[in-house]
Amino acid sequence: MPRFPILALCTPLALLLALAAGPARADETCQSPYLPKIVGQEDFLYVWTLGAEGVGDGSDKLVTVSVNPARPDFGKVIDSVSVGGRHEAHHGGFTDDRRQLWLGGLDSSEIFVFDVASDPAKPKLVKRISDFVEKSGGVVGPHTHYPLPGRMLISALSNRDGSGRTALVEYSNQGEHVRTTWMPADAEYGYDVRVNANLNRMLTSSFTGRTNYMRPLPELIGDAEAMKRFGNTVVVWDAHTRKPLQTLAVPGAPLEIRWALQPGHHYAFTTAALTSRLWGIFRKDDGSFEAVDLAPIGDPAKTPLPVDISLSADDRFLFVSTFMDGTVRVFDVSDPRKPRVVHEQPIGKQVNMVSQSWDGKRVYFTSSLLSQWDKTGDDDEQFLRGYAWDGKALAPRFAIDFKAEGLGRPHIMNFGSEAFYQGRVAAAEVDE
Amino acid sequence: MKARAALVALLVAAAPVGAHEAPARAPAPLAPALPAPGSYELPTIARVPDASVLDDTGTPAPLLDLAPGQVAVVSFVYTHCADGGGCPLALATLQRLDRAVAADPELRGRVRLVTVSFDPARDTPAVMRGLRERLRPAGDWRFRTAADAASIAPVLAAFGQDALPLVDARGRETGVLRHLLKVFLVDARGRVRNIYSADFLSAELLAVDARTVLLESRSAAARVAP
Repeated sequence: MPRFPILALCTPLALLLALAAGPARADETCQSPYLPKIVGQEDFLYVWTLGAEGVGDGSDKLVTVSVNPARPDFGKVIDSVSVGGRHEAHHGGFTDDRRQLWLGGLDSSEIFVFDVASDPAKPKLVKRISDFVEKSGGVVGPHTHYPLPGRMLISALSNRDGSGRTALVEYSNQGEHVRTTWMPADAEYGYDVRVNANLNRMLTSSFTGRTNYMRPLPELIGDAEAMKRFGNTVVVWDAHTRKPLQTLAVPGAPLEIRWALQPGHHYAFTTAALTSRLWGIFRKDDGSFEAVDLAPIGDPAKTPLPVDISLSADDRFLFVSTFMDGTVRVFDVSDPRKPRVVHEQPIGKQVNMVSQSWDGKRVYFTSSLLSQWDKTGDDDEQFLRGYAWDGKALAPRFAIDFKAEGLGRPHIMNFGSEAFYQGRVAAAEVDE
Repeated sequence: MKARAALVALLVAAAPVGAHEAPARAPAPLAPALPAPGSYELPTIARVPDASVLDDTGTPAPLLDLAPGQVAVVSFVYTHCADGGGCPLALATLQRLDRAVAADPELRGRVRLVTVSFDPARDTPAVMRGLRERLRPAGDWRFRTAADAASIAPVLAAFGQDALPLVDARGRETGVLRHLLKVFLVDARGRVRNIYSADFLSAELLAVDARTVLLESRSAAARVAP
């Protein structure tokens, strides 16, 4: 067959076929599978960064970092766009065509829409969605921004009264509210949302409401009543009808959810922050799901606080970052019911988000969890650190001090590519 | 030519399409049972205006042209598409939907398929006519293109359908248009009620969604009836 050099193709089915046919190739592994994939080396990281008092202009901003070693500006901040004010910058995601990056503020509930297609090295703020609370019927704290065809599915954390009762909110790519689906009565907290279209199933996890997540952490930990107000559930939904099917007990605030990526792997992982446990959500033979407590993460008695996870494209390695001890632990999850720690490495005095490239060779970390939960004094390191992963250990590639650069507290990272938006053919070739 | 061959091969093979239909090892089928029509909601995602395009004889024609009580399944494709998970998959699925609609007295005449090219320079009305002849519609399946890229651009923008010409390292066009496969369910008032990409695309699900939207117009009619 002749070889046609093309970009990694856009459809998830094409992706599945590619996976079935040979080695995985594309980019980061924790995005919605309904997103166009970029083959090979990413050029940029878009880092949604909380403003911090006395650091630069103090405002939340989208920071663009060059991460391609072929570029002369590798490892440097090449752009920064302030959105004005502090909104508790947290999570965000691309629209399904990867042309826009939506970034949410957990405190103000504003969503900032950036055009990353016109000039991927210089994202442009093109829209502010300021009607989230009003249009959603009182939902507060837009968290995960998960692309579905033509729309954005947003899981939230709270509501107008500050408690953890919350909802899933959908907006069209044009920025219009589509619908609000409140969490079921027996599982009212929300956090992450992830869809598996082949199974027509959606999973949501559960955290806590605004009165807790905007409260200083030492004060919160000392309030026994407040500490009871965290989620203990993962909900299994019918993805098409948005109807809840099962409420699974996962005690201790299960946060990020990652579906396995390989065909035939009908399971997902999550970590419970407060109990420091790794959980598996497995499809059973009858089509329903079960939650299984798989392993401790570090020493749960020391409350390491697992906050983010990243699963390699071959479903072999699960990176788990724990905030309190600033450490990443890599589990071999080849046998998903028997995970084992194969590597453990300190990243900084605190660490939050971990993202890896699709080929699994590059791993990035940021430091900030929440403005009121980050450490203080000298322990309040704020960084983006890039590493190379060889299957055994992480070797530093570059590091950026976000305080010294006058930027703030870096949170979620999304990958960008010049070739993708310019229609240039990327390095990889595939058989057609 | 290769693209056409791939397309025809896929259509002729009439093999199950989509990962949904891969054989399941587990006792329960992987793709869970379809919901009952009308048992769930399909809120409006966007509104699209009707537009003037070209039919497969080159005559100006409206894109949707829906009467009350009808819905359209609108798909954007190009006939040079060689991505088996893209346009060929969509057309094979739509062909199954076309057969299912034509065989169903409740859907026949109420569900229109509209397939539009976003590559009008190559997909002339004659090429679209050729596509129709290969697909042999059993029901109301219309094939549309435009005079040129500029004419179809506003339609693509209204629906939110991307299509980017890929170039090689020397900047030469490869003939490949990178696009995210999307199919749109549009009601008679021009409201987009669902959008499907490859993973969400199945003829059975499209039919259930179409019934769900059509049931609304029936219940609305029942409410105003004496």
